[in-house]
Amino acid sequence: MTNCHSIRPLLPARADELTLFEVRTRAEHVADCARCATEAAAYSRLGQALAVMASLEVDPADGTLERILVAIGRRRAGVTNPRVLAAAGSAGALVATVVVARAVRSRRRSRHRPSPWPRRLRLPNLPVPTPALARAK
Amino acid sequence: MEVDRELVEAAQAGDRWALEELVRRTHRSVYTCALRLVGNPDDAADVTQDVYLRVVRKLGGFRHEASFSTWLNRVTTNVAMSTLKRRTRRFAVEGAAVPPDTRDPAPEPAERAEAIALARRLERLVAGLPEGQRQVLVLRDIYGQSTEEVANAMGLTPGAVKVRLFRARERLKAELEATEGGQVVTLAGRRRATGRHS
Repeated sequence: MTNCHSIRPLLPARADELTLFEVRTRAEHVADCARCATEAAAYSRLGQALAVMASLEVDPADGTLERILVAIGRRRAGVTNPRVLAAAGSAGALVATVVVARAVRSRRRSRHRPSPWPRRLRLPNLPVPTPALARAK
Repeated sequence: MEVDRELVEAAQAGDRWALEELVRRTHRSVYTCALRLVGNPDDAADVTQDVYLRVVRKLGGFRHEASFSTWLNRVTTNVAMSTLKRRTRRFAVEGAAVPPDTRDPAPEPAERAEAIALARRLERLVAGLPEGQRQVLVLRDIYGQSTEEVANAMGLTPGAVKVRLFRARERLKAELEATEGGQVVTLAGRRRATGRHS
């Protein structure tokens, strides 16, 4: 049997913190040693009580909740406030509509108004320039 | 602290009421975790506010792979650790704040009620642990994070976490026995016999 001195560091540990060999060694020792069994039971009970602490809550000072709500309200107002987003969206849509309408209108006008320029430029038949070297020949 | 998935999804979709309701339902739990980690009510209130500012920023990226409370706990841990790194002053063990009385959760069976009574006494003893020991104990034994998660959050090796855990548990058990004048295992029976209530 392993002695108490070598088992002592294993007693506070949870099973998932030990190797399989350590778990087995501890279990075998505790089964035969009343003193270490009492220690192990105390640590086990301590562990259970600590786990229960997760469900216990402390009340923060008065005004903490309100302060948080104000802070996140400010943060959201700058980024994701639905009203701000809706207003910005409406304004954007209005600007886009005006721009498109003006473009369509100017295009229609340009179709109906005769252009002062001919549709295709016709160049007169000019003699093709001959390179100086060819002329010399 | 359990939060409806629908409420989280509504908050993710930009529902302002849902987000505020989420804060109302979870802020005590976040504050309690922060207080246990930083050991000071003022810093804990600041950490709590910073947690929700980060939640507003990151909520869109929450994919429901873990429960919301687990995710919120991790955010709280990260914010608290960042705060502690920034904090220049150090609280001596004697100066650690004694947490106010904890609120009871819903009525529980007798066995759990015993554990709750013990947990309430432990709250003060945990607050008195040295900072490094307290933090690993809070994250591992109270909030159930893995040794690796605790090591990552605190910038320690898993071995160092185990050493601190061992010392914290040993010290806590010894102090509990000293304050109660007996073994932890006998607390429930003795309290029943003497009719003492915490």
